[in-house]
Amino acid sequence: MFNQRMLSILKRELKDKILSRTFIIMTLLVPLFMVIILALPTYLMTVDKDESFNITVITEDNTLTDQLKTEIGKIESVKQGLSKVEFLIKDETGLNDYIKENKKKILDEKITGVVYLPKKSTEDKLLRFYSKNPNNKNVFNRLRDSFNQVLTDNYFTGKKLSEDDIKYARTNVYFDTFRISKDEMIKAESKGNRIISFLLIFLLYFSLIFMGTMVMRSVVEEKNNRIVEVILSSVNSQDLMTGKIIGSAITGLLQMTIWMTPLILLISTSIFMMPEEFALQIDLSLILYFLFNFFVGLITFLGLFATVGSIFDNDQDAQSGIWPIMMLIMIPFFIAIAIQQNPNNSVGLIASMFPFASIIVMPAKITLIDVPQWQIIISILVNIFTMFSIFTLAGKVYRVGILSTGKKPKWSEVIKWLRYKY
Amino acid sequence: MNVLEVKRLCKSFGPIKAVDDVTFNITEGSVFGLIGRNGAGKTTTLRMMMNIYTPDSGEILFYGKPVDNDFKKKVGYLPEERGLYKKMTVLDTLLFFADVKGKSGNDIKKSANEYLEKFDLADRKTTKIQDLSKGNQQKIQFIATILHDPEFLVLDEPFSGLDPINTDLLRQIIIELRDKGKVIIFSTHLMDFAEKMCDYISMIEHGKIILDGKLSDLKTKYAKRNISMNYSGDISFLKGNPIIESIEDFGNTTGIRLKDASQIQNLLKLLVDKKIDIKKFDANDISLHEIFVLLAGNKAGKEVQNV
Repeated sequence: MFNQRMLSILKRELKDKILSRTFIIMTLLVPLFMVIILALPTYLMTVDKDESFNITVITEDNTLTDQLKTEIGKIESVKQGLSKVEFLIKDETGLNDYIKENKKKILDEKITGVVYLPKKSTEDKLLRFYSKNPNNKNVFNRLRDSFNQVLTDNYFTGKKLSEDDIKYARTNVYFDTFRISKDEMIKAESKGNRIISFLLIFLLYFSLIFMGTMVMRSVVEEKNNRIVEVILSSVNSQDLMTGKIIGSAITGLLQMTIWMTPLILLISTSIFMMPEEFALQIDLSLILYFLFNFFVGLITFLGLFATVGSIFDNDQDAQSGIWPIMMLIMIPFFIAIAIQQNPNNSVGLIASMFPFASIIVMPAKITLIDVPQWQIIISILVNIFTMFSIFTLAGKVYRVGILSTGKKPKWSEVIKWLRYKY
Repeated sequence: MNVLEVKRLCKSFGPIKAVDDVTFNITEGSVFGLIGRNGAGKTTTLRMMMNIYTPDSGEILFYGKPVDNDFKKKVGYLPEERGLYKKMTVLDTLLFFADVKGKSGNDIKKSANEYLEKFDLADRKTTKIQDLSKGNQQKIQFIATILHDPEFLVLDEPFSGLDPINTDLLRQIIIELRDKGKVIIFSTHLMDFAEKMCDYISMIEHGKIILDGKLSDLKTKYAKRNISMNYSGDISFLKGNPIIESIEDFGNTTGIRLKDASQIQNLLKLLVDKKIDIKKFDANDISLHEIFVLLAGNKAGKEVQNV
């Protein structure tokens, strides 16, 4: 299989693909897109923190005013003078009048909201929040702690409780999240792996289709241009197909490796600062596994795309003939997305070791949870077996297909080609 | 001496018998024509010779040895349907085609430049194929066919699309190659062309060889009962005459076939008696076209599907 003729084809293919404009543009654009995806959560969080507000706090008397001023003053944006808090003393009627008077300001969001503490709230902690957008959890959450603090303090003061008791009462319940894994220490769970898992399946999906279509087009072009017969007078169809597919697969691998660099840098250096919530629990071996799996998958799918290309002699027919392959990529893609919610479900389990599906589902799963080693090994073996079977099968259709022109063959004819002795 | 021997070659595609018991030999330093209509089995035969198809039975011997992938290195093949990679540059294209034949390095580069010079394309080295005219693309294709210095050339209508100057250039190169001892095969359905260029021919029809041999011998053999003539007047009275087998009008000339060679003088007398103005009366001439029509014409009708 590896001979000088095949290598000549491979070299041309590499040169042709790597220097093509589409390849260069795609190679550059995708990491940009990845950086945006990775940076988005970080950015959103900073935006949230910086959001300033303008709050009016209305109490019925001035007993809590000083304490509230102190507590709210501790909020970062208030401290920096970005957010403003006004304290007024009014009763319920006064409050209603105030809201009527300032309705326009509230609707224009010049006043983010009005917090009203009725006298009874010192007993039941029931406050009122008037706002154009009362569900803005962001402002709400930051204020809530301050009010809770003041009201709790006020409630327990003079009730003969120790400082520790009060401190306990003040504290909210807080969940620390942990992920249980078999062979490593219990570690804090992060949203980062979900994002990476999604990113990996997206890249797999995208690249399989992108490279596949590229190969299919080039097969159709060779057939359409009638160049194939010139080449076949020098190499046999097996060499031609092998050279083309391996050349393209190497191109794809190179591209994927370039795409992985931001991730590799993320893991091994501290160039990107990720918020703790998004910290990644992946290591280089996962990336290596991913690239290997991708290469095997790429060869498998390129074999299929090349076959379809060889059957048809124009792009349109070929486009309409690729749906069976698209199904083989799309269904696993959706399974991989579905298992983000529950990586352990049975569909995911079967798909992760099923021919074709395994190529996309297994890496997604490995990123999310600890997959037993035997499953990974089965998945790899299944993928390699599929690759060789497809290659043999593709070769048989390809050798007949590339030389047949004229009317569009029926699928039943294509099956007959498998038995032709060429 | 036979350079290439094709022995009892058979090839079927499903129910279609594309090549049926084809045998012919090609001798050194000759130009060989494989002629026949579209779909007669020429391409399939050539593809088997190039080892693109495996024959169902029969064999192809090159200097007594069966052809294999290494044989491909010694062949230059210009198929009927040609093509080049549109986005590759001229020089890259030439080097690629030499590379698949196992030839690379400075010698080939030098030789590529020489050929480009010869074909007046030296300034187009870095031009993409798609930016060349069709005629120039043909020239590049031809250079790609011979650049690796093949021992054996298979050319299918190499002159189509070339202007007269380049046609002469190409003819000259082909003759040069023949004189160097290269074997050249033309596969064509244009009889006039085959007649001008070939020393030997094999005619294939519905997958079977129906005529095979040295062109001059074949002509002598078939010419015996044939008359080719130019005249003015009405010769329709000849129709139905017992000495005539058939009359074919080829435009400029008319071919008459007699039932018996001894009737030639009788025919001439008949024409003179009827006062037909005879401009040319050639009693020992037959064109390849006439032979072809004679052998295949009657059976015309069913075109074989191109596989």
